[in-house]
Amino acid sequence: MSTILKLFIFPAAIIIFCLGVNTILGGHITPGGGFQGGAIIAGAFIFGAVIYGLKDSPIKFSHDFMAQMESAGALAYVFLGLAGLIFSGFFLYNLGVDLYGIIPPFIKTLFDYPDPINAGIIPYLNFVVGIKVMVGLSAVVIAFLGFKGEFSEDEEEIEEID
Amino acid sequence: MFYAGPLILGFLLGFILGSRIKFNLSSGLNFTTGSYIIIFIAAVIAAYLIGPFPYYLDAPLASGFISALIGIFIGKIVLGRDIKENKENNKENF
Repeated sequence: MSTILKLFIFPAAIIIFCLGVNTILGGHITPGGGFQGGAIIAGAFIFGAVIYGLKDSPIKFSHDFMAQMESAGALAYVFLGLAGLIFSGFFLYNLGVDLYGIIPPFIKTLFDYPDPINAGIIPYLNFVVGIKVMVGLSAVVIAFLGFKGEFSEDEEEIEEID
Repeated sequence: MFYAGPLILGFLLGFILGSRIKFNLSSGLNFTTGSYIIIFIAAVIAAYLIGPFPYYLDAPLASGFISALIGIFIGKIVLGRDIKENKENNKENF
């Protein structure tokens, strides 16, 4: 890739990361949310991986990191759902808002997201979905880029044999 | 008064992302401290132009955006160590 792209992409990726995080955090109040923000962050990673190459990209998502993030996101989502089931009897009940008035006040305070509109657990759900989507989409591209490398090596071997 | 929600969650996500920024020293890429300062200024301008979420009256700029940026820089400084060249090391990182 050209030098201009190599100079531009890393700073742009950092700003796109911030935009993705901002989209995740505003999911309960503006258009966007966990999936969209996670896809934006994954887009910044893909940007770097395509321009610099998987090996030289400054943004490195290792296999362990992706496995940990994916698991943590899924587990946190399930735990938030189970918390609703335990305290209210409804899976994924919005404990921070408590529309039915059926849970103790300290539980409500515990799960309330500190912002001006009292969104309850919705921002937390956006957060964990964002983490999951971020590493999920990145893993797809890493697999494709890795496969391309293996394929070209095989091709070279076939050419050498011929 | 600042709302803690976007500041904490934004910082957490930024920190996670910043910890994954690791330069491969053999790649020839070299971003100096000055380039990070330029990135910071550009991001602050972007945050000002994006503006706060509706009903957020704590600051004139996107607080989640700024906290994510600070998280990325701190994550890079604390955990994002550069990688010294060798092929086996590169394989481990992917």
